[in-house]
Amino acid sequence: MATQAAKYPPLPLPNPLTQFFWDGCRDRRLMILRCQNCRFFVHYPRPVCPKCLSTELAAEQVSGEGKLYGYTVTVQAFHPYYVDKVPYTLAVVELAEQPGLRITTNIVDTPEAALRTDLPVRLTWREVAPDLVLPMFAAA
Amino acid sequence: MSKNRVAAVGVGYSSTGRRLGLSSRQLAVQAATAAMRDAGMTPKDIDGSTMLWGVAGAAPPGLDVAESMDVASMLGIGPLNFWNSGAGPAYIGPAIQAVAAIRAGFAHTVLSLRVIRQRMTAAEMLAEDTDAKREYVDGDAQFVAPFGSVSPLQAIAGMPAQRHMDLYGTTEEHFGRHVIAQREWASHNPDAIFRQPLTLDDYFAARYVSKPVRLLDCDYPVDSASAIIYTTEERARDFAKKPAFVEAATLSSVKYQTFENLDDILDNAPVHCAKTLWSRTDLRPKDIDCVQLYDGFTIIVFQWLEALGFCGRGEAGPFVAEGNTAMGGSLPLNTDGGACNVGRRHGANFCIEAVRQLRGDESGVRQVPNAKAALWANAVGSFSGAMIMTAE
Repeated sequence: MATQAAKYPPLPLPNPLTQFFWDGCRDRRLMILRCQNCRFFVHYPRPVCPKCLSTELAAEQVSGEGKLYGYTVTVQAFHPYYVDKVPYTLAVVELAEQPGLRITTNIVDTPEAALRTDLPVRLTWREVAPDLVLPMFAAA
Repeated sequence: MSKNRVAAVGVGYSSTGRRLGLSSRQLAVQAATAAMRDAGMTPKDIDGSTMLWGVAGAAPPGLDVAESMDVASMLGIGPLNFWNSGAGPAYIGPAIQAVAAIRAGFAHTVLSLRVIRQRMTAAEMLAEDTDAKREYVDGDAQFVAPFGSVSPLQAIAGMPAQRHMDLYGTTEEHFGRHVIAQREWASHNPDAIFRQPLTLDDYFAARYVSKPVRLLDCDYPVDSASAIIYTTEERARDFAKKPAFVEAATLSSVKYQTFENLDDILDNAPVHCAKTLWSRTDLRPKDIDCVQLYDGFTIIVFQWLEALGFCGRGEAGPFVAEGNTAMGGSLPLNTDGGACNVGRRHGANFCIEAVRQLRGDESGVRQVPNAKAALWANAVGSFSGAMIMTAE
């Protein structure tokens, strides 16, 4: 059993399709791929819009407003980084821009007792490693 | 599925337990041999082989892979007319490949296997020295792992269970009632690993893993292999045991695999599966004598109960708490004790238990009286499958 926490969480390895997302995070801008033909947001990044099959997609900044769709307060650490960070809240937030447009994140600065499905939340940023800033959310 | 009916005629398990020290080949051979013995069959009776090998979760280093052609060769089965070692939602994958191959006429008798190895324990994962190297994740995992989604149970069980509580008023006691009922079935199964009856106090004393999921809501990772042999209706009655016929079967994939990104974390592949399943049979939920529902985590059982229409949407908690799924209840559920108690055989135990219940004389006090139709279901989320089997 690790006695000391690892320095970093698992780190994203961007590819050409996902680089924009992590570049945006570094600038503290939440960027989501959007179909330039029918305006449908697509996340995770894909090379095609599932609604109109257009391949003209471009990253656009979203507001950072949303509501809590799913959450679990994780108590058991499964990775050395979390040994001194449990409990933490893993969550899926539905972004205000589009029904069903969701990102996986953490809820921070919010008491556990306040957590509930559909809780309004707002974007905040956390630097967790050099050059890695993660989009997280707190009760709005 | 009245045309080209397929039947399961032999079932068998390998030794099962934590880090047995057996190779994947040894496990596969043990289970396959047990199933052939059960059917009163020789390798020459078989002309197809399907299997799924793997670990559900992080794999310990150094595991040897088992593969369908290899297993057949080792056992003197062949020449093969059909084989597949591909992916699928746990055991229902190779099961449906076997049934489909027989129905299509590619093979007449197929050995299907699930060989599953114990995943790394949490202690082993924490002992990994990730400071020595930076750990990178690619693909869709890059959008979840950096946020600490590092165990499948968080998204497969934690978030759906929490959402079920928030949406429907399901309580932790409801989850506990299922765990207790299932353990009661296990207490009468000599093959079960856990047989000591549980109380609600025991359930609440179990630690949380990822809320509201407790340790007792999780299936038990083991090394194991399970084998089921399917054949044509024409041949089915030539073997030693009473055949169990495949009445209807279905597979469903609703999204690529990351569970966090499902369109609905509660109503997903099982809902689509159930719709298709009931469209392929004249049987209705009231005609099913016992159900064997995948219990990787408690919430999955609730999702299947609702998807299949055994209770209303959101009503699985009270349905279970009223005792319907317990011994003596109206809907005997996971009558072998489930994977929480017999070990993670990744769905194959549910098929084997369905077959044994339909044979009618192998389950002792767990026997469901006059069982004529059994339903078993596997996996959840992005993909799943289900099968109804009948005694006649």
